[in-house]
Amino acid sequence: MPEKPERTDHPIFVYLIGFGVIMMILAVLAGVLFHFTLSPHALEIIAPVKAKLISVEHSAILEEARKHEKSEIHRHFHNIIEFPKLSENKRPVCFICHSDYPHSKTKKVRSLLNMHTQYFVCETCHIKEDEDTKKDTKVVYTWYNPYDDNPKGPFFGTSYDAETGKLVEVEDKLSKIAPYFKKDGDLSSAIQVQDAPLAKDYMKVRDTLTPEQRDGIKMKFHVNVKPKGHECNICHSEDGIFDYGKLGFSKNRTADLKQLNVKGLITKYDDFYLPNLFK
Amino acid sequence: MEATKKYFTFSIYVAVVFIILIFGFRVEASDKENCLMCHKYRFIGRIDANGKKINYNVDEHMYSKSVHRNVSCRDCHTNIKKLPHDPVTEEVNCANQCHIKPPFAEENFSHKKIIDSYNQSVHGIKSEDAPELKKAKPDCKFCHLNPIYTRVDESRIAYEETLARCKNCHQKEGATQAYKHITHRLRHKTSRSPQEIVLLCSKCHQDAELMKTLNVKDAGLTAVETYKHSIHGKAVALGSQVAADCISCHASNALHDIYKKDHGSATVNKDNLKITCKQCHEKTNDRFVEIAVHSRIDRNEKPLLFFAGFGLKLALFATVFGLMSLLSLETHARKKNGMKWQIKRGSTWRGKSKR
Repeated sequence: MPEKPERTDHPIFVYLIGFGVIMMILAVLAGVLFHFTLSPHALEIIAPVKAKLISVEHSAILEEARKHEKSEIHRHFHNIIEFPKLSENKRPVCFICHSDYPHSKTKKVRSLLNMHTQYFVCETCHIKEDEDTKKDTKVVYTWYNPYDDNPKGPFFGTSYDAETGKLVEVEDKLSKIAPYFKKDGDLSSAIQVQDAPLAKDYMKVRDTLTPEQRDGIKMKFHVNVKPKGHECNICHSEDGIFDYGKLGFSKNRTADLKQLNVKGLITKYDDFYLPNLFK
Repeated sequence: MEATKKYFTFSIYVAVVFIILIFGFRVEASDKENCLMCHKYRFIGRIDANGKKINYNVDEHMYSKSVHRNVSCRDCHTNIKKLPHDPVTEEVNCANQCHIKPPFAEENFSHKKIIDSYNQSVHGIKSEDAPELKKAKPDCKFCHLNPIYTRVDESRIAYEETLARCKNCHQKEGATQAYKHITHRLRHKTSRSPQEIVLLCSKCHQDAELMKTLNVKDAGLTAVETYKHSIHGKAVALGSQVAADCISCHASNALHDIYKKDHGSATVNKDNLKITCKQCHEKTNDRFVEIAVHSRIDRNEKPLLFFAGFGLKLALFATVFGLMSLLSLETHARKKNGMKWQIKRGSTWRGKSKR
């Protein structure tokens, strides 16, 4: 009488089929998981589930702002290049109320003034020096980066690419020129950062403050700030406040910034009529 | 002798000035008037009176690679006459003639012909349109940004090999751009992928609130949803580059001639459907065109289809979940009877049942 086979004595093809089936199941599972999580359709699939699970309070203001942002992408025919920005919590306090586009009054120059927010903080232009302490406290300018106590550069905007003539692409695009008070050789920051105790405290309680209290506290943030910023010449001239060389600017970039063509256009001409020479 | 020397020195000066004038100033073709003097800055912009953030930056490098690279700024922005210029309130008119003469053409280039076709279409603004409809209708820029020339990602175009042959005679720069210009048009109808087309049209047509305000009929309100449930929509969602997108059926090769389906010129008009479907389905016949593309299986409208679909879904889920339940019950019972579950030597169950 032949021996009764063991349960494990299956022919090899049975194991192969089993292995194949398991692999297929795993592949289907992996596919389904991918579809729900990482695939381009994941957001669309998850959105209705998410909407059911998480109740979001609708805000007309927020929705309109988002709609504006979307329409701006459509309105902007030319390709918008993203430029790295500091995260919201690392930006100086000014950005809580004022955006990257704080100027809106003077039609002629508002956009050009706003352009400067790429290169320096608000106080660089709007710094108010205390008349009493002016004699022994000097304002000096250096690079500020909330992620790096002593940024070394090279910084964006300081030199040209010899081949393309454009500004050199560098790693450090977040550092900005900022003012510091210098007294007896010691430097203290003249800007309001969100990590400072005053700002932290304000952020904690600002929703509970009365409008009057809020206005009062806001004044504290503007203690070193004057409403009207520097004129072009204060920076863009041979004897301006910046030591471009010390700040790491190349020679030709320094020359260009000192004798800036845009400054001439703004300050010397009321209107410059474009000739039709090339038409 | 002295006079000759003076004459010679003067000639040298003249020659130097001439050489500088000819070769010394290399101006970018598209920015002859140095608009980038201001517009090169990335954060140039403002928040307008309506609270909209507007950025005015134009990236020189990107622009020089775009399809409009040879068009100078004021060819489009014609109302700018002075510097610094006043806030721009007039929209760019794409029907303007720009100062570019295409090869073999007698007139300067303009998009007028296609705009005329577009204005006739359902998207063109008509005098009898309600104000909200006029506002909602997309202008050129809504769909057309200034695209960068990129390589067409289709295996049927042997890019490297063909371009290498062009370069045998033509210089690299011009030949590459001309080649890219043409290969983009070798796609089915548009240089955009079907996925991009669906996304673009959905921006308005999926916005039920907007569509309701424009008095769009029921079928129009659910057009995107029903497309996504169709075989075309599913194939496109899965990445197909050949399945029909919105433009494939709703426009001819003129691309902009989209009409409501009851309009005689509409590609989806019942009289034109055969030609439209034949673009992909060669054996299209009278029965074929009756198949609903934007099919919505509503319980009241199509009860038979609705319940057939419901039955199939039920069968699917009942089979899958029924089998899973059976397996779970079997597993539970075996464990209860003292059998062990382990992956070892070919079988997962060990031990003898207590029963």
